[in-house]
Amino acid sequence: MACTMFGAIYVGSYEVNLKVYELSVRKGIHLVNHVQHRLELGKDAYGTGRIGTELVDELCSVLNDFQRIMKEFGVDEYRACATTVIRETKNNLVLLDRIFVKTGIRLEVLSNSEQRFLGYKAIASNSERFQDIIEKGTAIVEVGGGSLQISLFDKDNLVTTQNIRIGSIRLRERLIDVAERTVRYASVMEELLNNEMRTYRKLYLKDRNIRYIILVGSYVKGIDKYIHKGQAGDQITREEFMRFYDEVAQKGQQTMAAELGISAESSSLLLPTLVIYKRLLEETGAENVVIMDADIGAGLAYDYAEKKKIFKIKHNFENDILEAAWNIAKRYHTNRNHTLTMEKLALTIYDKIKSFHGLGKRERLLLQIAVLLHDCGKYINMAQPSECSYSIIMATEIIGLSHMEREIVANVVRFNSGNILPFEELAATSLLERNEYLTIVKLTAILRVANALDRSHKQKIKDIKVNLKDNHTMQIVVDTSEDLTLEQALFREKSEFFEDVYSIKPILKAKKLN
Amino acid sequence: MKKEYMKPEYFENRELSWIGFDERILGEARDKQIPMFERIKFLSITASNLDEFFMVRVASLKDMVNAEYSKKDFSGMTPQQQLDAIHARVHDFVNLQYSTWERSLLPGLRQCGLQVIEHYEELTEEQGRYVDQYFIENVYPVLTPMAVDSSRPFPLIVNKTLNLGALLKKKNTEKAELEFATVQVPAVLPRIVSIPSTEEGVKTVILLEEIIARNMSQLFLSYDVLCVHAYRIMRNADLSIDEDEASDLLKEIQKQLKKRRWGEVIRLEVDEKADKRLLKILKKEFEIKEDAVYRIAGPLDLTLLMKMYGLEGFDAYKEPRYTPQPVPELTGKPDIFEEIRKGDILLHHPYQTFDPVVDLVKKAAKDSQVLAIKQTLYRVSGNSPIIAALAQAAENGKQVSVLVELKARFDEENNIAWAKMLERAGCHVIYGLVGLKTHSKITLVVRREEDGIRRYVHLGTGNYNDSTAKLYTDMGLLTSSELIGEDATAVFNMLSGYSEPASWNKLSLAPLWLRDRFMMMIRREMEYARNGEPARIIAKMNSLCDPGIIAALYEASAAGVKIDLIVRGICSLKVGIPGVSENITVRSIVGTFLEHTRIYYFLNGGQEDVYLASADWMPRNLDRRVEILFPIENEMLKKEVLHVLDIQMQDTLKAQIKQPDGTYEKVDRRGKVALSAQTYFMEYAKSLNKKQEDVVQDRVFIPAEPLEEPEDE
Repeated sequence: MACTMFGAIYVGSYEVNLKVYELSVRKGIHLVNHVQHRLELGKDAYGTGRIGTELVDELCSVLNDFQRIMKEFGVDEYRACATTVIRETKNNLVLLDRIFVKTGIRLEVLSNSEQRFLGYKAIASNSERFQDIIEKGTAIVEVGGGSLQISLFDKDNLVTTQNIRIGSIRLRERLIDVAERTVRYASVMEELLNNEMRTYRKLYLKDRNIRYIILVGSYVKGIDKYIHKGQAGDQITREEFMRFYDEVAQKGQQTMAAELGISAESSSLLLPTLVIYKRLLEETGAENVVIMDADIGAGLAYDYAEKKKIFKIKHNFENDILEAAWNIAKRYHTNRNHTLTMEKLALTIYDKIKSFHGLGKRERLLLQIAVLLHDCGKYINMAQPSECSYSIIMATEIIGLSHMEREIVANVVRFNSGNILPFEELAATSLLERNEYLTIVKLTAILRVANALDRSHKQKIKDIKVNLKDNHTMQIVVDTSEDLTLEQALFREKSEFFEDVYSIKPILKAKKLN
Repeated sequence: MKKEYMKPEYFENRELSWIGFDERILGEARDKQIPMFERIKFLSITASNLDEFFMVRVASLKDMVNAEYSKKDFSGMTPQQQLDAIHARVHDFVNLQYSTWERSLLPGLRQCGLQVIEHYEELTEEQGRYVDQYFIENVYPVLTPMAVDSSRPFPLIVNKTLNLGALLKKKNTEKAELEFATVQVPAVLPRIVSIPSTEEGVKTVILLEEIIARNMSQLFLSYDVLCVHAYRIMRNADLSIDEDEASDLLKEIQKQLKKRRWGEVIRLEVDEKADKRLLKILKKEFEIKEDAVYRIAGPLDLTLLMKMYGLEGFDAYKEPRYTPQPVPELTGKPDIFEEIRKGDILLHHPYQTFDPVVDLVKKAAKDSQVLAIKQTLYRVSGNSPIIAALAQAAENGKQVSVLVELKARFDEENNIAWAKMLERAGCHVIYGLVGLKTHSKITLVVRREEDGIRRYVHLGTGNYNDSTAKLYTDMGLLTSSELIGEDATAVFNMLSGYSEPASWNKLSLAPLWLRDRFMMMIRREMEYARNGEPARIIAKMNSLCDPGIIAALYEASAAGVKIDLIVRGICSLKVGIPGVSENITVRSIVGTFLEHTRIYYFLNGGQEDVYLASADWMPRNLDRRVEILFPIENEMLKKEVLHVLDIQMQDTLKAQIKQPDGTYEKVDRRGKVALSAQTYFMEYAKSLNKKQEDVVQDRVFIPAEPLEEPEDE
């Protein structure tokens, strides 16, 4: 069959949806069915921290329906994901199991950074303009029910991405009492937003020049249609938006919702959403709002097509992840040259002993990120770099990595200079399983050796060759014009662990360059 | 909407307009040009129409009156005023029905060789013996005579059944206390009974109730039967379900069905010669006022004439049976999917056969590439091949979703049975949306082909009912258009309770978008007219009674838009109002086939937009039903649809033109060719199969010639 059918289920804060895609070389990603069901899970989750039985039942019946609809299109594979709303539900493991038992669907809970990465993939894959736009200062803003995500691009690179826990539902729920008592509902919402927005501007925006906001969220298309009548394009100017905002303030939320064709049930989210949009425009000073689709569904489909090599992917997304990691490293003033050397060493070893560690491309990326971030903790405390690095990584969004992957990276970095904890001890405080633990151990072993080779941080080694002598000896031949006494001394100590893990003894051999 | 076009005097009451429609059908029964047996069929139709009208419309007005609801309708009448006007007009109508029967049809049938004995007194002695024997052997065992006295209350008389009421007096008693007794004429036995004829070559029949009446004394042996008269009642049968409270629609409707028998009596028909004392008892027991009592000069319940039409041996007095023609695009082609892929196919029933639609489902059920079949079913025939094919498809592992509309009036029991059967076969059955009847007719077949998913869609103006497809004129479109396919999927998502899509590609749906869409298109023509450009609307539908649309048409007409309406039934729009509707013509076609196609044409500055739809311009279609309007965009097919409108506008035989006073008159044929649109299309459909080229130029008069082999495959 020349095409693959893929289903993407997404459980969001206020809706559950299924998108069925046809993936092929000829048509690329082609949406053949979009099924949407309004379900305000967020109302329960953000308010009480748990989702009521009735809502769960409804969710399950919708998911069962989705199973059936996927069959109607002969879906080969699907992914079902949830984000904030399930993440913030207490005891969500039990909930996920209940959903699985009732529907046969295993709902993956995406970390925020994974979710954003998928959204970003969707944007990047959808739009040819994307590359042009990100040349200039651009913010991609995704406004959801529970949170909003701001990613800054400058000169083609992802500069930073931050998640702010303010979203349309959350905003509405927090001010639910106020809404009835004040005529200044909108300005009260603005006030609530101000604090978070200012902090964000101080820390991340600084005096960056943001020209465009790529706005991903509800109603954007409807607003565009409303403003531009028949000739809706994909851009709204700042003035147009502000005029529209005033119109809403004047006519009232309900009337406007009706004119926009928003169903009555979701009309109460219109104003909170608009307030967020408005504050964003004001804080960033962007002149234009660009409308693009970045829904998780398209991201999932794109991701699947990428993995299955259904068609060629133009953009290298791994670079974005690495770029994001580099930016974090930069923030904590790590030694760039040392890192670059180590990256080369680590990856050379990784590739050479492939048949011994049996890990794949993704783990190679994790190793690379671990290298980039292995020293960041020193920025906080020179005495406990490994613990600090661990904490920084655990608390920093790295776009494109799942929570599990981030934890792997954090632990590899921690064990690089600290003690390696046994699995039982590690598992006691995290969700890591045996497999992930083994990955951590294997990557740590490589990282340690690589680190030892540039112990002086002087990049004495110009070139490196790795040869496997026999099944138990690995010869690392380095070209250098400098003295390697320090490295040689440390190498033995650091390579012990490598030997433990792989049963391969690394031997360092220096080839003097003259 | 401008107020000036909403004045009550600009509108005709919809109920009275409906009676006008039934009167036009009665006109067919009175038309001497029409074969005798066709005429009795038309008379039968007027009777069954009237029954439904009472059960639904009169009942609903009655409900309003009972609820003391006195808001005026758009023509300015309160419910009570409407009821009064209806009864006044229906009394005249019924009188005309029976004078037609007695004076024209009964003698006419006699000339055709069918003698209908209306009164048992007219039987010969030999015939009398025959019917008495028939009574003892066949009728007597199934009768349940019921007498009424102080210990036995008045029995439940079932809606629409035919009954005989009698007054009895106990034998051998001096005191003449009269007793009332009643017996239902059993519906299990044929109403028309053949008896030996006194003449060679003549068939003689008598009605069952006469046989029973003649033998009434057999039922009440210890009584003297003083008189026997037939009567029939009509009860309120309108279902009013409170959907907000009914958690399970299915159960609620089942409950309502049981209740229906107990509805209020809204009409009593009784033999005009009925004894006053007997009538008094009936009126009292049924709590009915004088104006709702209809004294009948002939057999009650003329729907029996449909059975009489079915009697064998009178073909000379009937229209030759028309066989729906094969669709040339699909004839001899094994793969219907391939043909649809080649291009959209238009179907015109009953001139063309309904088989392709059944075939689509049948083929889909067996096709290995088909993944899913989805269909809306509103009224299906008994033993529907479509239902069987759907069940088969589910058994073959296809994903089958069927929307069964339970709220289809009078068909609920039937529909529930189908729904259960389909569920057992493994189909996913949806019961429609709360508060909205699903009236749209759409079928979607999802197929996974070499180059991806392809959707095949059938959209129609009529129900998926292979029986009525032989009697109703309807149009349908078979297409594999990707845009319509996407819309079709969205339609079914919506019908399953999921959110509507942000926008539609090609289809317009009621209740959310359709009204606005029509209004927009009418206003657009108005703008053209105001700018001095040609502007024209032609619309064909079953009924027109939406005040908003009518007012918009008035406004457009006043602006200079030329509007031609082909409205079979109710038309609340009035023509010829100075300055308001002078540019509007209304015609109604009543013929052998029931006109059912809905076609909407807008000139749109020369672009000529042509649409087919499941909806009329009625409030219920636009506001309370799920309906679909779909465009015909293929230029060839567009021409075909325009051709249909064109021919209907030229009809001089069956068309009747609405006059400013609300009456309808036949077309003045002077200087015009005699043309019956329905007859024309029968021939036209045949001609399409004879020669496929140049269909536009040479439509009908093509000499027969050997069939040519198609040049390429």
